[in-house]
Amino acid sequence: MASLAGTTISISSRPWQSLQAAKEFSSVKSISFSSIRKSLPVIRLRPASSRLQICCAAKSETLEKVLKIVKKQLALPEGTAITAESKFSELGADSLDTVEIVMGLEEAFGISVEEESAQKIVTVKDAANLIEELVKSQSC
Amino acid sequence: MRRLLRGDMLPLLSNLVSRRLVISSLPSLPPAPLPSRREAHLWYVVPNELEDASLLQDYRELLSPCEKENILSIKGEALKKCAILSRVLVRTTLSRYTDCKVNPRLFKFRKNRFGKPEVERQIGALWVSSSLQFNISHTSSMIACGITVDVPIGIDIEEKQRKPVNNILSLAHRYFSPYEVQYLASFMDPETQQSEFLRLWTLKEAYVKALGRGFSGAPFRDFTIRFEKSTDSVVPEQPKSEEFRIMIDTAFDSENLTANWQFALVELGGSHLAAICMEKDENMSGTEQDFLKLKVWKTLPYVEDKCMSETDAVKNISGLS
Repeated sequence: MASLAGTTISISSRPWQSLQAAKEFSSVKSISFSSIRKSLPVIRLRPASSRLQICCAAKSETLEKVLKIVKKQLALPEGTAITAESKFSELGADSLDTVEIVMGLEEAFGISVEEESAQKIVTVKDAANLIEELVKSQSC
Repeated sequence: MRRLLRGDMLPLLSNLVSRRLVISSLPSLPPAPLPSRREAHLWYVVPNELEDASLLQDYRELLSPCEKENILSIKGEALKKCAILSRVLVRTTLSRYTDCKVNPRLFKFRKNRFGKPEVERQIGALWVSSSLQFNISHTSSMIACGITVDVPIGIDIEEKQRKPVNNILSLAHRYFSPYEVQYLASFMDPETQQSEFLRLWTLKEAYVKALGRGFSGAPFRDFTIRFEKSTDSVVPEQPKSEEFRIMIDTAFDSENLTANWQFALVELGGSHLAAICMEKDENMSGTEQDFLKLKVWKTLPYVEDKCMSETDAVKNISGLS
């Protein structure tokens, strides 16, 4: 297990004492840290420009609307964890749910979704991204 | 497998095959005779009937590492249970049709280029002698697996009482063909309209799944399912008549949407609709082609199998011979 102690990195209980090449060291570092990295919370940097801020606000508003429609369609029990990363298949959506959700999204956002695009949607985030794209292109 | 390897020598392949590879405490499955060319077999399981947590754990052990990982990312115990049961149903059902020579755990699956799951016939040194075709469908209250030999099959099940969240005619306008919209609009009673919608839905789903080209490869509006009276006259006002057959019309210029498919629609367990679609046998002539033979079993794998054909649990709506 690798640990960070002040400015030094100590690797304990491993026979990596004689680290020769830098390449070896970096590969050891990635092996040691990858499991830790997974459990660290992801830090999202705040956008610098205001344009980015508006973009992100719009995206999160879209996401909120999508989540609302999905929750309504799937009648998820109270307390079910549903986020942008949730996969529709993991939420128990079957094919009829999926087409109903797509239709609900079309009506809510005034867009038209092609079957091919709909088929590519795996997560809630995918749906929100697709909607953003379609709203932008269909309003021009 | 590891437990069978002794320190001194590897067991012969014939020993591996004939010895039942029992890795958990599960008993053996009874084998099932293969369906004939015009036959489809349907096995279904009711998740609510599984209450034994240790059995669920045994079931989980039958899954591949990849399947186990997928289960972990599913939210909610009920959904997890259904996901496990779904994989167990496929694996155990396939095993039965190999005379139980292939342990359910051993099957490997791949997807065709459109994403339809298929079973690999080559499993290490074993070879599955028949070309088993399968298709799964599930609702929260029932999971079903259809099996044929050689010919593609698609199935879809839905709860009879399922009420779409959206307005039925809006859904039909958005997704169905004009003929089907007209057909549904002809029903004044909302419950009948809902029931007819579900019948059309399951049949269309079963067709798309049988074709194996995905939802976008066979858009619902590009083909029509209709019910034709067996005497060859179309009588749309009498949908409840059991003497009608299920027909499919596809656009003339469509090369991907073929029409040589036969359908059956049954009511299962009094609670579900099940639509089955399989390719027609070109060697048969005339109206004989239009009906398929269906055998149905209800199962809780390793606990109980019940043949349900010829019982009240399987009610033919249309298409069965």
